[in-house]
Amino acid sequence: MELWSLLPVPVQSLIATVLIILPLLGVVAWYTYAERKVIGYMQVRIGPNRVGWRGLLQPIADALKLMMKEIIIPTQANKQLFLIAPMISIIPALAAWAVIPFDAGLVLADINAGLLYVLAMTSLGVYGVIIAGWASNSKYAFLGSLRAAAQIVAYEIAMGFALVGVLVAAGSLNFSAIVMAQQGGVWHWFWLPLLPLFGVYYISGVAETNRAPFDVAEGESEIVAGFHVEYSGMAFAIFFLAEYANMVLIAMLTTLMFFGGWLSPFQGIPVLESLFAGVPGIIWLLIKTFFFMFTFLWLRATFPRYRYDQIMRLGWKVFIPITIVWILVVALAVVFEVSPWWSATA
Amino acid sequence: MGFEKLLFYIFAAVTLFAASMVITRRNPVLSALYLVMAFVSSAALWLLLEAEFLGIVLILVYVGAVMVLFLFVVMMLNIDVATLRARFIHYLPLGLIVAGIMVFDMFLVLGPADFGLDQFAKPQSQPADYNNTAALGQILYTTYLYQFEIAAVILLVAIVAAIRLTLRHRPETKYQDPSNQVRVRKGSDRVRLITMPAEPVPPSLTATLGATHTEMTE
Amino acid sequence: MLDNYLHILIFILVASLISIAPPILGSLLGPRRAYAEKDSPYECGFAAFENARMQFDVRYYLVAILFIVFDLEIAFLFPWAIVVKELGMAGFMAMFVFLGILVVGFIYEWKKGALEWE
Repeated sequence: MELWSLLPVPVQSLIATVLIILPLLGVVAWYTYAERKVIGYMQVRIGPNRVGWRGLLQPIADALKLMMKEIIIPTQANKQLFLIAPMISIIPALAAWAVIPFDAGLVLADINAGLLYVLAMTSLGVYGVIIAGWASNSKYAFLGSLRAAAQIVAYEIAMGFALVGVLVAAGSLNFSAIVMAQQGGVWHWFWLPLLPLFGVYYISGVAETNRAPFDVAEGESEIVAGFHVEYSGMAFAIFFLAEYANMVLIAMLTTLMFFGGWLSPFQGIPVLESLFAGVPGIIWLLIKTFFFMFTFLWLRATFPRYRYDQIMRLGWKVFIPITIVWILVVALAVVFEVSPWWSATA
Repeated sequence: MGFEKLLFYIFAAVTLFAASMVITRRNPVLSALYLVMAFVSSAALWLLLEAEFLGIVLILVYVGAVMVLFLFVVMMLNIDVATLRARFIHYLPLGLIVAGIMVFDMFLVLGPADFGLDQFAKPQSQPADYNNTAALGQILYTTYLYQFEIAAVILLVAIVAAIRLTLRHRPETKYQDPSNQVRVRKGSDRVRLITMPAEPVPPSLTATLGATHTEMTE
Repeated sequence: MLDNYLHILIFILVASLISIAPPILGSLLGPRRAYAEKDSPYECGFAAFENARMQFDVRYYLVAILFIVFDLEIAFLFPWAIVVKELGMAGFMAMFVFLGILVVGFIYEWKKGALEWE
């Protein structure tokens, strides 16, 4: 600790940054493995099982393979934009992690406008998709990127409104403050008073990341792979990384905003609370996050793809009215200090 | 303090560079992307002024929304740059006059007479827990309530205008209405099960039916 | 306050480095054997008929414009959300009127069929 405070601030944040990004990339890599394994078992298959024990080294083999592959640049493509597009899609996906707290006080940049920053960063993700689709100069890529862009913007609004509900409930844009506002056990976490917003946020998160059942942007049976059809090798891998990093981010944000972040689920329960008192907060945070990451895979294995007009209807005509009404309901509850969540003493 | 100044000059240089690229690129898509770069570096400049909320909202609204529309338009309209350039010299004098007037206007507003450190005291740097957003909220919904509601009316006008200008119904397209589809109920709407008694087949018909059946299989 | 943003700046720089490294690695390690068919745009076995960058339905622009309007609305909601407790009923009514005006626009969109995807 003494040594740590002696280091200059930029070096400190450099080390902390690496300590966030490296485990994140690891989680992303083995998330792809988990996806294949989980969906495999759900479909009564085995999934990858050749590389390493039970296929655990599969992500490394995949990475090596992709590295050795040619990066094809189509003749008619706009070369600069074609190469920049994957970077534009991954930088915001990683940058959003700078303000995520992992435990009480364990956060790199504890800014007041944390939630706003994350929303701004996730709103940049659409650029990678649009530029990739346009720069490829291929009909399938172009169509995929158009679909993706219209879908992402529709769900971003529902997502933004749902976040406003969380802000009203917590009274702060700072993530640590949002988690601390949920103190007092499972029934005080925001999933209960904000149940409709939780549903809207989570489903919008699935749609924002272009995951099944909202994956018309990639729809491999109709437009092959959508916006990244022309990408190969490492350029493709970056899009893949960005998509999975965004999924992990959505799972983490859902945990922080609706499921009490690092708070123990046994708070306020007599015996269990003391029994699990020694468990560090980051463990709870990771357990909850992994659960939501699992549900992403579960959804993919369970539901068939939505039709595009149904997606647009759900975003505009169902989610936006629900969120507007619930924001006003929550605001009234906060103004009138409805207990037990917003009682005056708390 | 020195480091902050260095960052300011870096971001200011990036903003100017990006802005000049916006007006010199031949490809309109590249111009739009440089405009995005200019917005991002201006947001960084605002953050240096500790205008946290405004800086991030600049990214959220301008980069995340307005520039997406710009990109849609320039990408999909397929603007022919050659025809746009053809009359460039012809319009140059007019453009120069307009630019000159704007520079003069800006000089009047931002000139040394009304601007600079001797006119305004240098603002104190805020403590770490200063909440820009809350401070803005405290005055926006009380002191500036009227202007705030006017903003809502302007947005309403924007919605109506956008729909009046761009909405085209194409009666010849065939489509399903998902709202009607989800209203379908399991019982009566989807499938109708009818019980009807089996009709006895006369023996003469059975014989002919059996005959045709064998013929067909042969 | 700016210290926190320094952390973010460094984080973004590291993230950009990480995003640049893999394509460079890939282009160094991978082969580059180009030929006309491989580098042509993806198509189901025939040469593409026309330029892929075609004009498309104006509906996409409409979605983008409506998105901007609602995004601005969200930007207005953010500062309100964190002070509504202090402002109390007056703050609630201010936003109620604001949202009411915009809900009129939303109903207009709905009734005009701007939200249908035909």
